[in-house]
Amino acid sequence: MATITVTVNGKSYTSEVEPRTLLVHYLREHLNLTGTHIGCDTSQCGACVVLVDGVSVKSCTMLAVQADGANVLTIEGLAQNGQLHPLQEGFWECHGLQCGYCTPGMIMAAYDLLQQNPEPTDEEVRHGLEGNLCRCTGYHNIVRAVQYAAAKMRSEEVPA
Amino acid sequence: MSHNGSTFRYLGKGHRLIEGLEKITGNAKYAGDLSLPGMLHACLVLSPYAHARIVAIDRSTAQAAPGVVAVLTADDLPTRDRAVNSRHSAVLAKDRVLWRGQPVVVVVGETEAAARDAADRVVVEYEPLTPIIDVQKAAAPDAPVIWPQGLPKEGADLTAAHAAVDKGEQETTGAPSNIHDEVHFVRGDVERGFAEADVVIERVYRTPMVHQGYLEPHASVAEPDLYRGGVTVYTSTQGQFSVRDEVARLLSLPKHKVRVVPMTIGGGFGAKYGIIDPLVAAVAITVKRPVRLVLTRTEDFLSTTPSPAAIVELKVGARADGTLTAIQARVLMDNGVFPFTLGGIVGILLGGYYKCPNLRIDCYEVLTHKPQAGAYRAPGAPTATFAIESTIDDLARALGHDPLTFRLQNAAETGDPMGNNDPWPHIGLKLVLERLRDHPAWKDRQVGPNEGVGIAIGGWPCGMSPAASICRVDTDGTVRIHVGSVDISGVNSSLVLVVAEILDIPPEQIELIQGDTRSGPFAGPSGGSQTTYSVAGAVAKAARAVREKLFEIAADHFEVSVADLELRNGMVSVRGFPDKAVSIGTLAAIAESKAGGPGPIIAEGSAAVSENAPGFVAHLAKVHVDPETGQVTLKQYVAIQDVGFALNPTMVAGQIHGGSVQGIGWGLYEAMIYDEYGQLLTASFMDYNLPAFDQVPDIEAVLVENPSPYGPFGARGVGEPPITAGAAAIANAIRDATGVRMTELPIRAEALWRAMREQINGQSSTPG
Repeated sequence: MATITVTVNGKSYTSEVEPRTLLVHYLREHLNLTGTHIGCDTSQCGACVVLVDGVSVKSCTMLAVQADGANVLTIEGLAQNGQLHPLQEGFWECHGLQCGYCTPGMIMAAYDLLQQNPEPTDEEVRHGLEGNLCRCTGYHNIVRAVQYAAAKMRSEEVPA
Repeated sequence: MSHNGSTFRYLGKGHRLIEGLEKITGNAKYAGDLSLPGMLHACLVLSPYAHARIVAIDRSTAQAAPGVVAVLTADDLPTRDRAVNSRHSAVLAKDRVLWRGQPVVVVVGETEAAARDAADRVVVEYEPLTPIIDVQKAAAPDAPVIWPQGLPKEGADLTAAHAAVDKGEQETTGAPSNIHDEVHFVRGDVERGFAEADVVIERVYRTPMVHQGYLEPHASVAEPDLYRGGVTVYTSTQGQFSVRDEVARLLSLPKHKVRVVPMTIGGGFGAKYGIIDPLVAAVAITVKRPVRLVLTRTEDFLSTTPSPAAIVELKVGARADGTLTAIQARVLMDNGVFPFTLGGIVGILLGGYYKCPNLRIDCYEVLTHKPQAGAYRAPGAPTATFAIESTIDDLARALGHDPLTFRLQNAAETGDPMGNNDPWPHIGLKLVLERLRDHPAWKDRQVGPNEGVGIAIGGWPCGMSPAASICRVDTDGTVRIHVGSVDISGVNSSLVLVVAEILDIPPEQIELIQGDTRSGPFAGPSGGSQTTYSVAGAVAKAARAVREKLFEIAADHFEVSVADLELRNGMVSVRGFPDKAVSIGTLAAIAESKAGGPGPIIAEGSAAVSENAPGFVAHLAKVHVDPETGQVTLKQYVAIQDVGFALNPTMVAGQIHGGSVQGIGWGLYEAMIYDEYGQLLTASFMDYNLPAFDQVPDIEAVLVENPSPYGPFGARGVGEPPITAGAAAIANAIRDATGVRMTELPIRAEALWRAMREQINGQSSTPG
């Protein structure tokens, strides 16, 4: 067993984990943060994307011990003081989700995308999120949702 | 939005997903998120062979592994005496394994990791047998037969079945065969029809097994009731009552001892009707503790029920004036190892989209050593549509007719026969074609080098089933609506608008409660585009009954007649006296306290729709084909659909976007590929290509509102139709761009490149 200290959504946790424990299993099983989902076992689907020290990571490709000392943000930590993040708002307002299973990973990946490119074209959104699969929406409204958030984060009027 | 002369306040206006908040904050609870006190974890050992005899199972090492509670085989479970004749009943393999991926052993551990480690230590000795994989070989008269004595019947295990003479298993021929069912549709005289034709096109089309590809793999948690001898199953399902019935049957429990709780479902698309629930329930009862099983993606690909593969031999004739004269088809469905019957639907659609006096369709349902096939969104329709719409396109081309006009000339109308000669109920096929004809993407189409535009129609009969609902008003004005249906597609976000409209209250004031098999009023499973169509009627009836009760109490309160009252913004008032108004919450409080009054405000509604409301689409795809590589890029996609009346247009458009991209998946990307030994070569998202974000364009959804005469407020089923036409539209666009007719799905770059080479070399442009 290994001892790790990880800050998750602003709170510090010290845990004993098997060295082979994946970050996604640590979040779901040890911390009961089940908003981060598992959709595959080959790092294709992106349902498990979280931010580690501000960078989006498929948490099924990272060991929990690699996150020792890191700052992790999951979907549960995105809303601040009961205020939804513009991305959360955008996905809801633009119907960028149906079953919702890909949604947390999609939102966290989009968070990183907008950090790097606050004013993406639709094509850049599609390219930037190509590591996340969605089976319900056909991606169409996810583009709208990300653009809604991008505009709001730039303090512009959101696109109709 | 005006409809039937009335103006709606909430219906027909887009409203966001009512459970959106849970889903965007990570708080929605899917089955695999559930942890119960004392819960154990299950892990499966799957068959590595498509066909083999189980010689021995050595579980001693696994049982001794740390954290292992039990290592169980078929004989250890309460399902041991049930006949294995379907995927549901194949809880664990007995004696033989019948497809690669069939569950053989289940390991139960204190943690998932412990169970998985131990599963690797279970040693199963197999005697490999020859699998029957190729569907044409399986259907041949001299083929070895998978079930020589017929399928095992209930009450007779595999051994007993060998001694029994089962009537009705091989219904059509007396002799044992891998053809488990066949359907024949005949109209007029096809020979005469082909003789009258000026052009006849005859081709063979192939479509593969395709997986539903829901993002949430199958997951289920079962909790035994140690005192009453029952079980509660928390699961990812499209139909709690279906799962309840099957779990009860397989575990020999009375239905009331099985409670099935539908959790938030991470996509189903036809696949989630209790594949793993009988196993998880049986294991929980056996080990007397709660048990969770979550399949890995690879396990899900190997052990669940993809759509059947098909071979369609299709011959269609037309006169020079554009009239169709004959349609003839022979359809082979590859259903895997247990029966599944979609051939009839394929035939109904093949022979149903267009008016044609002469028709002969023969459909054969064939068994092979693959996983049993199952439903996937508009089951059978993408296959039928790909075949007929590719052929129709080429007939128009051969006759020098405009492909859209040609379709419009022959398109089926209300009352025309479907493939099985039953009349179509009220349909709007011509309307969607006319809308496409007038759409700029078609009317003003322009193509650059190596580009092409293709169109296709598609349709789905849409299901229906009886359903009930309960509506009640709380003293704070909250209205609760109870249903027993599952929301797989935004259905609940439409149902609340029905209540909002009838009670004239904002949707935010309404809570929809999705019941389990104990608490929910009955509804059919959520599939076949039937849920909104079937349940909305029940919800409307319950809400109208509540409205009547509110009026009754208000009339008594104000000492006026009901006719003098009106309901607006959640307030009942006396017409012409705005100060005489009372909220529905106050009325609920009066009703709950008044002796001798009508009692608390609650009402039920039942509905059983009497006629289907089919949905038709016309899709347009514009493609670019790289002449050097055969790579197809989608440049534009338009999806026009007759939705009857869009109760919640946001949800309807979402269905069209998603269904269209699944159709694109059929066209360009997706296939379950098996080798000659029955090994699945595409058992992960690395190898099985779901359409990705950057592989698809925006989808322009165009809603045509042609009200159905029977559905609630004119609504039609909307979920299935969008998937039907994509593959055909893309194939027709590729034909337009390259001159090459592709007849096998998916249309991969390599196959298209080879076909283009052959064309350049002056050979046939139609492989196969």
